[in-house]
Amino acid sequence: METQLHPPPGNDRTRTNFLLGGLSVVFLGLAGLFLAELWGHPEKRRKLPLVDPGFLAVKPWRQTYADLLKAKEDMSDFDCYSCHERNKPLPLHMDEKHNVIIPKEHENIKMGHGSHNRNNLCYNCHSETNLLTLVARDGRDLKFADSTQLCGSCHGPTYRDWEAGAHGRTSGYWDRSKGQSQRLDCANCHNPHSPGIPTREPAPGPHSLHEAVPPTPQPTH
Amino acid sequence: MPPSNPAPAPDRTSDAAMTRRTFLRSTAAFSGLAALAASLSPLRELSDYTSVEQFLQKYYKEMTPEEMAKVLKRIERDVERQYGIRPHVRDLRPMDGVEFVYCLNLTRCIGCRKCVHACVAENNHSRNPEIQYIRVLKLPHGSLDFEKAEHHYDPKQVPEKGFFYMPVQCQQCKHSPCMKACPVNATWTETDGITVIDYDWCIGCRYCEAACPYFARRFNFAKPEIPKERLNPNMAYLGNRPRKQGVMEKCHFCIQRTRVGRYPACLEVCPVGARKFGNILDPESEVSYILREKRVFIQLKEELGTSPRFFYYFDK
Repeated sequence: METQLHPPPGNDRTRTNFLLGGLSVVFLGLAGLFLAELWGHPEKRRKLPLVDPGFLAVKPWRQTYADLLKAKEDMSDFDCYSCHERNKPLPLHMDEKHNVIIPKEHENIKMGHGSHNRNNLCYNCHSETNLLTLVARDGRDLKFADSTQLCGSCHGPTYRDWEAGAHGRTSGYWDRSKGQSQRLDCANCHNPHSPGIPTREPAPGPHSLHEAVPPTPQPTH
Repeated sequence: MPPSNPAPAPDRTSDAAMTRRTFLRSTAAFSGLAALAASLSPLRELSDYTSVEQFLQKYYKEMTPEEMAKVLKRIERDVERQYGIRPHVRDLRPMDGVEFVYCLNLTRCIGCRKCVHACVAENNHSRNPEIQYIRVLKLPHGSLDFEKAEHHYDPKQVPEKGFFYMPVQCQQCKHSPCMKACPVNATWTETDGITVIDYDWCIGCRYCEAACPYFARRFNFAKPEIPKERLNPNMAYLGNRPRKQGVMEKCHFCIQRTRVGRYPACLEVCPVGARKFGNILDPESEVSYILREKRVFIQLKEELGTSPRFFYYFDK
Protein backbone atom coordinates (compact mmCIF):
# COMPACT_ATOMS: atom_id res chain seq x y z
CA MET A 1 0.00 0.00 0.00
CA GLU A 2 2.70 2.32 1.09
CA THR A 3 4.86 1.74 -2.00
CA GLN A 4 1.91 2.24 -4.23
CA LEU A 5 1.13 5.56 -2.66
CA HIS A 6 4.71 6.71 -2.54
CA PRO A 7 6.62 5.05 -5.29
CA PRO A 8 10.30 5.29 -4.49
CA PRO A 9 11.75 7.88 -6.81
CA GLY A 10 14.98 5.83 -7.07
CA ASN A 11 13.28 3.09 -9.06
CA ASP A 12 12.80 5.27 -12.13
CA ARG A 13 16.26 6.75 -11.90
CA THR A 14 18.04 3.42 -11.66
CA ARG A 15 16.38 2.30 -14.82
CA THR A 16 17.24 5.57 -16.58
CA ASN A 17 20.87 5.44 -15.45
CA PHE A 18 21.12 1.84 -16.48
CA LEU A 19 19.75 2.64 -19.93
CA LEU A 20 21.95 5.71 -20.39
CA GLY A 21 25.02 3.84 -19.22
CA GLY A 22 24.33 1.05 -21.68
CA LEU A 23 23.71 3.53 -24.46
CA SER A 24 26.94 5.37 -23.75
CA VAL A 25 28.85 2.09 -23.89
CA VAL A 26 27.28 1.32 -27.27
CA PHE A 27 28.00 4.82 -28.57
CA LEU A 28 31.59 4.80 -27.34
CA GLY A 29 32.11 1.39 -28.83
CA LEU A 30 30.75 2.54 -32.18
CA ALA A 31 32.92 5.67 -32.09
CA GLY A 32 35.95 3.54 -31.29
CA LEU A 33 35.25 1.17 -34.17
CA PHE A 34 34.70 4.14 -36.44
CA LEU A 35 38.08 5.58 -35.49
CA ALA A 36 39.80 2.28 -35.93
CA GLU A 37 38.25 2.01 -39.41
CA LEU A 38 37.46 -1.62 -38.81
CA TRP A 39 35.17 -1.76 -41.81
CA GLY A 40 37.02 0.81 -43.82
CA HIS A 41 40.24 -1.15 -44.03
CA PRO A 42 40.93 -2.34 -47.55
CA GLU A 43 41.44 -6.02 -48.05
CA LYS A 44 45.01 -7.02 -47.25
CA ARG A 45 47.06 -7.40 -50.40
CA ARG A 46 47.65 -10.93 -51.41
CA LYS A 47 51.28 -11.73 -51.92
CA LEU A 48 52.30 -12.02 -55.55
CA PRO A 49 55.34 -14.13 -56.38
CA LEU A 50 58.30 -12.34 -57.96
CA VAL A 51 59.43 -13.56 -61.33
CA ASP A 52 62.42 -15.90 -61.51
CA PRO A 53 65.45 -13.75 -62.46
CA GLY A 54 66.38 -16.45 -64.96
CA PHE A 55 63.74 -14.99 -67.26
CA LEU A 56 65.60 -11.67 -67.26
CA ALA A 57 68.84 -13.16 -68.60
CA VAL A 58 70.10 -11.43 -71.73
CA LYS A 59 72.93 -13.84 -72.54
CA PRO A 60 72.56 -16.01 -75.65
CA TRP A 61 71.85 -19.62 -74.81
CA ARG A 62 74.62 -21.10 -76.94
CA GLN A 63 78.32 -20.44 -77.16
CA THR A 64 80.01 -20.49 -80.53
CA TYR A 65 83.49 -21.78 -81.31
CA ALA A 66 84.65 -18.16 -81.42
CA ASP A 67 83.15 -17.50 -77.97
CA LEU A 68 84.95 -20.53 -76.54
CA LEU A 69 88.24 -19.37 -78.05
CA LYS A 70 87.73 -15.91 -76.61
CA ALA A 71 86.87 -17.29 -73.18
CA LYS A 72 89.99 -19.53 -73.35
CA GLU A 73 87.92 -22.64 -72.74
CA ASP A 74 89.21 -26.15 -73.14
CA MET A 75 89.15 -26.72 -76.91
CA SER A 76 90.20 -30.37 -76.86
CA ASP A 77 86.71 -31.35 -78.07
CA PHE A 78 87.51 -29.66 -81.35
CA ASP A 79 90.84 -31.38 -81.83
CA CYS A 80 89.51 -33.92 -84.34
CA TYR A 81 92.90 -35.46 -85.07
CA SER A 82 93.45 -36.62 -81.55
CA CYS A 83 91.16 -39.54 -82.55
CA HIS A 84 90.85 -39.38 -86.34
CA GLU A 85 93.74 -40.08 -88.69
CA ARG A 86 94.93 -37.34 -91.03
CA ASN A 87 94.53 -37.70 -94.79
CA LYS A 88 92.14 -40.56 -94.44
CA PRO A 89 88.64 -39.61 -95.60
CA LEU A 90 85.90 -40.88 -93.35
CA PRO A 91 83.15 -42.83 -95.06
CA LEU A 92 79.56 -42.01 -94.07
CA HIS A 93 77.19 -44.82 -93.25
CA MET A 94 73.50 -44.61 -94.02
CA ASP A 95 70.57 -46.60 -92.76
CA GLU A 96 67.88 -47.93 -95.10
CA LYS A 97 65.99 -44.59 -94.95
CA HIS A 98 69.10 -42.73 -96.08
CA ASN A 99 69.64 -41.11 -92.73
CA VAL A 100 73.25 -40.76 -91.77
CA ILE A 101 74.21 -43.06 -88.89
CA ILE A 102 75.82 -40.99 -86.16
CA PRO A 103 78.75 -42.89 -84.64
CA LYS A 104 78.68 -43.51 -80.91
CA GLU A 105 81.50 -41.04 -80.25
CA HIS A 106 79.34 -38.24 -81.62
CA GLU A 107 76.00 -39.30 -80.19
CA ASN A 108 75.37 -35.81 -78.78
CA ILE A 109 74.76 -34.66 -82.35
CA LYS A 110 71.11 -34.71 -83.38
CA MET A 111 70.65 -34.28 -87.08
CA GLY A 112 67.70 -32.11 -88.03
CA HIS A 113 68.91 -29.56 -90.53
CA GLY A 114 66.30 -28.94 -93.18
CA SER A 115 63.09 -30.81 -93.74
CA HIS A 116 62.87 -34.11 -95.62
CA ASN A 117 66.47 -35.05 -94.76
CA ARG A 118 67.75 -32.80 -97.48
CA ASN A 119 70.77 -31.75 -95.51
CA ASN A 120 71.87 -34.75 -93.53
CA LEU A 121 75.31 -35.29 -95.02
CA CYS A 122 78.18 -34.24 -92.80
CA TYR A 123 80.28 -33.17 -95.78
CA ASN A 124 77.74 -30.62 -96.90
CA CYS A 125 79.37 -28.36 -94.34
CA HIS A 126 82.40 -30.17 -92.93
CA SER A 127 85.47 -30.58 -95.11
CA GLU A 128 86.04 -34.17 -96.12
CA THR A 129 89.79 -33.72 -96.37
CA ASN A 130 90.41 -31.54 -93.33
CA LEU A 131 88.15 -32.05 -90.35
CA LEU A 132 89.36 -28.82 -88.77
CA THR A 133 87.69 -26.70 -91.40
CA LEU A 134 84.27 -26.15 -92.85
CA VAL A 135 83.53 -25.88 -96.50
CA ALA A 136 81.12 -23.32 -97.86
CA ARG A 137 78.71 -23.88 -100.76
CA ASP A 138 81.11 -22.15 -103.13
CA GLY A 139 84.04 -24.35 -102.09
CA ARG A 140 85.81 -21.91 -99.78
CA ASP A 141 87.48 -23.46 -96.74
CA LEU A 142 86.38 -21.68 -93.56
CA LYS A 143 87.53 -21.84 -89.99
CA PHE A 144 85.07 -22.95 -87.31
CA ALA A 145 85.12 -19.43 -85.96
CA ASP A 146 83.79 -18.14 -89.29
CA SER A 147 80.78 -20.43 -89.36
CA THR A 148 78.40 -17.53 -89.98
CA GLN A 149 79.73 -17.16 -93.51
CA LEU A 150 79.18 -20.86 -94.05
CA CYS A 151 75.51 -20.47 -93.10
CA GLY A 152 75.29 -17.43 -95.34
CA SER A 153 76.53 -19.39 -98.34
CA CYS A 154 73.16 -21.20 -98.43
CA HIS A 155 70.83 -18.89 -96.51
CA GLY A 156 71.36 -15.80 -98.63
CA PRO A 157 68.29 -13.69 -97.77
CA THR A 158 68.66 -14.43 -94.06
CA TYR A 159 72.34 -13.56 -94.22
CA ARG A 160 71.48 -10.30 -95.93
CA ASP A 161 68.95 -9.52 -93.19
CA TRP A 162 71.51 -10.42 -90.54
CA GLU A 163 74.09 -8.11 -92.08
CA ALA A 164 71.55 -5.27 -92.00
CA GLY A 165 70.76 -6.07 -88.37
CA ALA A 166 67.23 -7.22 -89.15
CA HIS A 167 67.76 -10.90 -88.34
CA GLY A 168 68.97 -12.08 -84.98
CA ARG A 169 69.52 -10.60 -81.59
CA THR A 170 71.18 -7.27 -80.99
CA SER A 171 72.27 -5.49 -77.86
CA GLY A 172 74.13 -2.36 -76.96
CA TYR A 173 73.55 0.90 -78.80
CA TRP A 174 71.17 1.78 -81.61
CA ASP A 175 73.09 5.06 -81.91
CA ARG A 176 76.39 4.09 -83.53
CA SER A 177 77.98 7.38 -82.46
CA LYS A 178 77.49 6.43 -78.80
CA GLY A 179 78.55 2.81 -78.91
CA GLN A 180 78.40 -0.47 -80.71
CA SER A 181 75.44 -2.57 -81.63
CA GLN A 182 76.55 -6.08 -80.79
CA ARG A 183 75.34 -8.76 -83.11
CA LEU A 184 75.55 -12.48 -82.51
CA ASP A 185 76.67 -15.27 -84.81
CA CYS A 186 74.22 -17.81 -86.21
CA ALA A 187 75.50 -20.51 -83.88
CA ASN A 188 74.74 -18.37 -80.81
CA CYS A 189 71.06 -19.14 -81.31
CA HIS A 190 70.92 -22.00 -83.81
CA ASN A 191 72.46 -25.40 -83.32
CA PRO A 192 74.02 -25.98 -86.76
CA HIS A 193 73.07 -29.67 -86.70
CA SER A 194 69.41 -28.92 -85.92
CA PRO A 195 68.91 -25.19 -86.29
CA GLY A 196 65.27 -24.92 -85.27
CA ILE A 197 64.80 -22.81 -82.14
CA PRO A 198 63.87 -25.24 -79.34
CA THR A 199 60.66 -24.65 -77.43
CA ARG A 200 61.01 -23.17 -73.97
CA GLU A 201 59.10 -22.56 -70.79
CA PRO A 202 57.17 -19.28 -70.93
CA ALA A 203 57.56 -16.69 -68.20
CA PRO A 204 54.49 -16.29 -65.97
CA GLY A 205 51.58 -14.41 -67.49
CA PRO A 206 49.61 -11.54 -66.01
CA HIS A 207 48.37 -12.45 -62.56
CA SER A 208 44.78 -13.56 -62.36
CA LEU A 209 44.07 -10.96 -59.67
CA HIS A 210 43.67 -8.59 -62.57
CA GLU A 211 40.67 -10.38 -63.93
CA ALA A 212 37.21 -9.11 -63.04
CA VAL A 213 36.24 -12.72 -62.43
CA PRO A 214 39.22 -14.73 -61.21
CA PRO A 215 39.71 -17.77 -63.42
CA THR A 216 39.51 -21.17 -61.86
CA PRO A 217 42.81 -22.05 -60.23
CA GLN A 218 45.11 -23.83 -62.60
CA PRO A 219 47.15 -26.80 -61.49
CA THR A 220 50.65 -25.62 -60.69
CA HIS A 221 53.53 -27.22 -62.47
CA MET B 1 9.16 -4.80 1.34
CA PRO B 2 12.27 -2.66 1.41
CA PRO B 3 12.33 -0.18 4.13
CA SER B 4 11.01 3.03 2.76
CA ASN B 5 13.95 5.25 3.44
CA PRO B 6 13.18 8.81 2.81
CA ALA B 7 14.55 9.29 -0.67
CA PRO B 8 16.46 12.48 -1.30
CA ALA B 9 14.52 14.88 -3.32
CA PRO B 10 15.57 14.65 -6.98
CA ASP B 11 17.83 17.60 -7.60
CA ARG B 12 17.27 18.34 -11.26
CA THR B 13 19.79 21.15 -11.47
CA SER B 14 22.81 19.45 -9.93
CA ASP B 15 22.26 15.95 -11.28
CA ALA B 16 25.63 15.97 -13.00
CA ALA B 17 25.50 12.21 -13.14
CA MET B 18 23.34 12.28 -16.18
CA THR B 19 20.19 13.65 -17.56
CA ARG B 20 18.91 12.48 -20.90
CA ARG B 21 19.66 15.84 -22.47
CA THR B 22 23.25 16.21 -21.32
CA PHE B 23 23.92 12.60 -22.19
CA LEU B 24 22.61 12.95 -25.73
CA ARG B 25 24.41 16.23 -26.16
CA SER B 26 27.78 14.94 -25.03
CA THR B 27 27.60 11.67 -26.94
CA ALA B 28 26.56 13.55 -30.07
CA ALA B 29 29.51 15.89 -29.69
CA PHE B 30 31.85 13.03 -28.96
CA SER B 31 30.76 10.88 -31.86
CA GLY B 32 30.82 13.93 -34.11
CA LEU B 33 34.44 14.54 -33.20
CA ALA B 34 35.24 10.89 -33.63
CA ALA B 35 33.64 10.89 -37.08
CA LEU B 36 35.61 13.98 -38.03
CA ALA B 37 38.85 12.41 -36.87
CA ALA B 38 38.07 9.20 -38.75
CA SER B 39 37.25 11.10 -41.91
CA LEU B 40 40.56 12.95 -41.71
CA SER B 41 42.55 9.84 -40.95
CA PRO B 42 43.61 9.25 -44.61
CA LEU B 43 45.70 12.40 -44.17
CA ARG B 44 48.00 10.32 -41.98
CA GLU B 45 49.25 8.63 -45.14
CA LEU B 46 49.61 11.88 -47.04
CA SER B 47 53.29 12.27 -46.30
CA ASP B 48 53.87 8.98 -48.10
CA TYR B 49 53.09 10.24 -51.51
CA THR B 50 53.18 13.95 -51.71
CA SER B 51 55.21 16.72 -50.27
CA VAL B 52 54.67 20.46 -50.31
CA GLU B 53 57.49 20.76 -52.83
CA GLN B 54 55.84 18.27 -55.10
CA PHE B 55 52.46 19.89 -54.67
CA LEU B 56 53.86 23.28 -55.68
CA GLN B 57 55.92 21.84 -58.51
CA LYS B 58 55.47 23.42 -61.94
CA TYR B 59 54.44 21.77 -65.19
CA TYR B 60 57.30 19.90 -66.87
CA LYS B 61 57.41 22.16 -69.90
CA GLU B 62 57.43 25.33 -67.78
CA MET B 63 60.29 24.42 -65.51
CA THR B 64 63.59 26.23 -65.87
CA PRO B 65 66.75 24.08 -65.81
CA GLU B 66 67.42 25.22 -62.23
CA GLU B 67 63.94 24.27 -61.11
CA MET B 68 64.30 20.93 -62.87
CA ALA B 69 67.61 20.30 -61.11
CA LYS B 70 65.88 20.93 -57.78
CA VAL B 71 63.04 18.60 -58.70
CA LEU B 72 65.47 15.84 -59.70
CA LYS B 73 67.20 16.24 -56.34
CA ARG B 74 63.84 16.04 -54.60
CA ILE B 75 62.98 12.83 -56.47
CA GLU B 76 66.35 11.32 -55.57
CA ARG B 77 65.72 12.18 -51.92
CA ASP B 78 62.22 10.74 -51.98
CA VAL B 79 63.38 7.50 -53.58
CA GLU B 80 66.26 7.18 -51.13
CA ARG B 81 63.95 7.70 -48.18
CA GLN B 82 61.52 5.11 -49.46
CA TYR B 83 63.87 2.46 -50.82
CA GLY B 84 67.22 3.18 -49.18
CA ILE B 85 68.94 3.39 -52.55
CA ARG B 86 70.28 6.64 -53.97
CA PRO B 87 69.14 6.64 -57.60
CA HIS B 88 70.51 8.60 -60.53
CA VAL B 89 67.58 10.59 -61.93
CA ARG B 90 68.01 12.52 -65.14
CA ASP B 91 65.84 14.68 -67.32
CA LEU B 92 66.64 13.41 -70.82
CA ARG B 93 65.46 15.50 -73.74
CA PRO B 94 64.79 14.21 -77.26
CA MET B 95 67.74 14.18 -79.64
CA ASP B 96 67.74 16.18 -82.85
CA GLY B 97 67.08 14.28 -86.06
CA VAL B 98 65.76 11.24 -84.25
CA GLU B 99 62.36 9.65 -84.53
CA PHE B 100 61.99 6.28 -82.92
CA VAL B 101 60.26 3.36 -84.55
CA TYR B 102 59.76 -0.13 -83.24
CA CYS B 103 59.40 -3.19 -85.47
CA LEU B 104 58.29 -6.57 -84.25
CA ASN B 105 58.70 -9.74 -86.27
CA LEU B 106 55.60 -11.88 -85.82
CA THR B 107 57.25 -14.80 -87.61
CA ARG B 108 59.96 -14.96 -84.95
CA CYS B 109 58.11 -14.25 -81.69
CA ILE B 110 57.76 -17.44 -79.65
CA GLY B 111 55.59 -15.96 -76.89
CA CYS B 112 58.07 -16.57 -74.07
CA ARG B 113 57.09 -13.30 -72.27
CA LYS B 114 60.69 -12.49 -71.39
CA CYS B 115 60.12 -8.98 -72.74
CA VAL B 116 57.25 -8.46 -70.29
CA HIS B 117 59.43 -9.13 -67.27
CA ALA B 118 62.52 -7.36 -68.59
CA CYS B 119 60.29 -4.31 -68.95
CA VAL B 120 58.96 -4.69 -65.40
CA ALA B 121 62.51 -4.92 -64.04
CA GLU B 122 63.89 -2.06 -66.09
CA ASN B 123 61.04 0.35 -65.52
CA ASN B 124 60.42 -0.12 -61.80
CA HIS B 125 56.89 -1.36 -62.16
CA SER B 126 54.78 -2.09 -59.15
CA ARG B 127 55.07 -5.81 -58.42
CA ASN B 128 52.03 -5.76 -56.16
CA PRO B 129 49.54 -4.86 -57.52
CA GLU B 130 51.10 -6.10 -60.69
CA ILE B 131 51.60 -3.63 -63.51
CA GLN B 132 52.93 -4.72 -66.89
CA TYR B 133 53.24 -2.63 -70.04
CA ILE B 134 53.48 -5.52 -72.50
CA ARG B 135 50.75 -8.04 -73.09
CA VAL B 136 51.54 -11.02 -75.26
CA LEU B 137 48.50 -12.22 -77.18
CA LYS B 138 48.24 -15.77 -78.40
CA LEU B 139 46.35 -15.95 -81.69
CA PRO B 140 45.46 -18.92 -83.89
CA HIS B 141 47.29 -19.05 -87.21
CA GLY B 142 45.59 -17.40 -90.13
CA SER B 143 43.76 -14.55 -88.46
CA LEU B 144 44.25 -11.33 -86.61
CA ASP B 145 40.93 -11.58 -84.83
CA PHE B 146 41.45 -10.24 -81.32
CA GLU B 147 38.25 -11.90 -80.17
CA LYS B 148 40.23 -15.12 -80.40
CA ALA B 149 43.28 -13.73 -78.64
CA GLU B 150 44.32 -15.02 -75.26
CA HIS B 151 46.92 -13.55 -72.94
CA HIS B 152 46.71 -15.93 -69.97
CA TYR B 153 48.15 -18.88 -71.89
CA ASP B 154 50.25 -21.10 -69.69
CA PRO B 155 51.53 -24.18 -71.50
CA LYS B 156 54.65 -26.04 -70.42
CA GLN B 157 56.49 -25.04 -73.56
CA VAL B 158 56.11 -22.28 -76.13
CA PRO B 159 55.58 -21.82 -79.02
CA GLU B 160 52.51 -24.02 -79.34
CA LYS B 161 51.66 -25.55 -82.69
CA GLY B 162 49.03 -23.66 -84.67
CA PHE B 163 49.42 -20.34 -82.85
CA PHE B 164 51.39 -17.18 -83.20
CA TYR B 165 52.16 -14.60 -80.57
CA MET B 166 51.71 -10.87 -80.70
CA PRO B 167 53.14 -8.67 -77.99
CA VAL B 168 51.17 -5.44 -77.61
CA GLN B 169 52.45 -2.38 -75.81
CA CYS B 170 52.16 1.38 -76.29
CA GLN B 171 52.19 2.01 -80.03
CA GLN B 172 53.58 5.55 -79.67
CA CYS B 173 50.99 6.92 -82.10
CA LYS B 174 51.60 9.91 -84.29
CA HIS B 175 48.03 11.00 -83.61
CA SER B 176 47.66 9.73 -80.10
CA PRO B 177 44.11 9.64 -78.75
CA CYS B 178 45.37 9.56 -75.16
CA MET B 179 47.05 12.89 -75.58
CA LYS B 180 43.87 14.47 -76.92
CA ALA B 181 41.83 13.06 -74.05
CA CYS B 182 44.04 14.37 -71.26
CA PRO B 183 42.33 17.38 -69.66
CA VAL B 184 45.52 18.74 -68.06
CA ASN B 185 48.11 18.04 -70.79
CA ALA B 186 49.96 15.69 -68.48
CA THR B 187 50.71 13.45 -71.47
CA TRP B 188 52.12 14.59 -74.80
CA THR B 189 54.20 13.39 -77.73
CA GLU B 190 57.81 14.48 -77.83
CA THR B 191 59.69 15.30 -81.03
CA ASP B 192 61.37 11.89 -81.09
CA GLY B 193 57.96 10.24 -81.19
CA ILE B 194 57.69 9.04 -77.61
CA THR B 195 54.43 9.82 -75.86
CA VAL B 196 55.38 10.62 -72.28
CA ILE B 197 53.60 11.30 -69.00
CA ASP B 198 54.52 13.84 -66.34
CA TYR B 199 53.64 11.69 -63.33
CA ASP B 200 53.61 14.76 -61.09
CA TRP B 201 51.09 16.54 -63.29
CA CYS B 202 48.71 13.64 -63.87
CA ILE B 203 45.44 13.95 -61.98
CA GLY B 204 44.50 10.30 -62.40
CA CYS B 205 41.22 10.80 -64.25
CA ARG B 206 41.98 7.81 -66.52
CA TYR B 207 40.45 9.47 -69.59
CA CYS B 208 43.58 8.52 -71.53
CA GLU B 209 43.16 4.89 -70.55
CA ALA B 210 39.66 4.95 -71.96
CA ALA B 211 40.84 6.72 -75.09
CA CYS B 212 43.66 4.31 -75.87
CA PRO B 213 42.55 1.67 -78.41
CA TYR B 214 45.48 -0.61 -77.49
CA PHE B 215 44.96 -0.93 -73.72
CA ALA B 216 48.49 0.37 -73.33
CA ARG B 217 47.96 2.61 -70.32
CA ARG B 218 48.02 1.41 -66.75
CA PHE B 219 46.67 3.07 -63.62
CA ASN B 220 48.17 2.85 -60.16
CA PHE B 221 45.07 1.95 -58.21
CA ALA B 222 47.09 1.24 -55.10
CA LYS B 223 50.40 2.32 -53.71
CA PRO B 224 53.02 0.59 -55.86
CA GLU B 225 55.24 -1.98 -54.19
CA ILE B 226 58.74 -2.57 -55.51
CA PRO B 227 61.16 -4.82 -53.62
CA LYS B 228 64.30 -2.85 -52.73
CA GLU B 229 66.64 -5.37 -54.31
CA ARG B 230 64.83 -5.11 -57.63
CA LEU B 231 64.85 -1.31 -57.92
CA ASN B 232 66.62 0.00 -61.01
CA PRO B 233 68.55 3.10 -59.88
CA ASN B 234 69.11 4.43 -63.40
CA MET B 235 66.06 6.67 -63.72
CA ALA B 236 64.61 9.40 -65.89
CA TYR B 237 62.01 12.02 -65.00
CA LEU B 238 59.67 11.07 -67.84
CA GLY B 239 60.70 7.44 -67.65
CA ASN B 240 61.09 4.84 -64.97
CA ARG B 241 61.22 6.83 -61.73
CA PRO B 242 58.85 5.24 -59.20
CA ARG B 243 55.26 6.31 -59.66
CA LYS B 244 52.80 7.08 -56.90
CA GLN B 245 49.28 5.95 -56.28
CA GLY B 246 46.67 7.55 -58.50
CA VAL B 247 48.67 8.26 -61.65
CA MET B 248 48.83 6.72 -65.10
CA GLU B 249 51.86 5.10 -66.62
CA LYS B 250 52.76 3.31 -69.84
CA CYS B 251 55.58 2.18 -72.11
CA HIS B 252 57.96 5.02 -72.99
CA PHE B 253 60.43 3.06 -75.13
CA CYS B 254 62.74 2.97 -72.07
CA ILE B 255 63.55 6.69 -72.26
CA GLN B 256 66.34 6.29 -69.74
CA ARG B 257 68.09 3.93 -72.18
CA THR B 258 67.03 4.99 -75.67
CA ARG B 259 67.72 8.70 -75.21
CA VAL B 260 71.33 7.89 -74.41
CA GLY B 261 71.60 5.70 -77.49
CA ARG B 262 70.92 2.26 -76.04
CA TYR B 263 68.34 -0.32 -77.06
CA PRO B 264 65.18 -0.77 -74.97
CA ALA B 265 65.19 -3.54 -72.37
CA CYS B 266 62.52 -5.64 -74.11
CA LEU B 267 64.65 -5.76 -77.25
CA GLU B 268 67.83 -6.90 -75.56
CA VAL B 269 66.13 -9.71 -73.69
CA CYS B 270 64.25 -11.13 -76.69
CA PRO B 271 65.81 -14.57 -77.23
CA VAL B 272 64.86 -14.78 -80.91
CA GLY B 273 65.61 -11.24 -82.07
CA ALA B 274 61.99 -10.53 -82.96
CA ARG B 275 62.22 -6.95 -81.72
CA LYS B 276 63.93 -4.19 -83.67
CA PHE B 277 64.28 -0.58 -82.68
CA GLY B 278 65.94 2.46 -84.14
CA ASN B 279 65.84 5.84 -85.76
CA ILE B 280 63.55 5.94 -88.80
CA LEU B 281 65.18 9.17 -89.99
CA ASP B 282 68.47 7.32 -90.43
CA PRO B 283 68.30 5.33 -93.70
CA GLU B 284 71.03 3.01 -92.45
CA SER B 285 69.15 1.90 -89.35
CA GLU B 286 67.65 -1.56 -88.88
CA VAL B 287 64.11 -0.23 -88.79
CA SER B 288 64.58 1.71 -92.04
CA TYR B 289 65.87 -1.48 -93.64
CA ILE B 290 62.90 -3.48 -92.36
CA LEU B 291 60.26 -1.02 -93.50
CA ARG B 292 62.00 -0.75 -96.87
CA GLU B 293 62.75 -4.41 -97.53
CA LYS B 294 60.20 -6.53 -95.71
CA ARG B 295 57.15 -7.32 -97.71
CA VAL B 296 54.35 -7.19 -95.20
CA PHE B 297 53.96 -5.07 -92.15
CA ILE B 298 50.95 -3.89 -90.25
CA GLN B 299 50.12 -1.13 -87.88
CA LEU B 300 47.75 -2.38 -85.26
CA LYS B 301 44.19 -1.05 -85.82
CA GLU B 302 45.45 1.01 -88.70
CA GLU B 303 41.91 2.01 -89.59
CA LEU B 304 41.63 4.21 -86.48
CA GLY B 305 44.08 6.68 -87.95
CA THR B 306 46.31 6.72 -84.91
CA SER B 307 49.35 6.05 -87.13
CA PRO B 308 51.43 4.04 -84.67
CA ARG B 309 55.22 4.10 -84.66
CA PHE B 310 55.09 0.42 -83.81
CA PHE B 311 55.12 -1.93 -86.80
CA TYR B 312 54.48 -5.66 -86.98
CA TYR B 313 56.06 -7.49 -89.85
CA PHE B 314 56.60 -10.98 -91.20
CA ASP B 315 59.68 -12.63 -92.62
CA LYS B 316 58.05 -14.23 -95.64
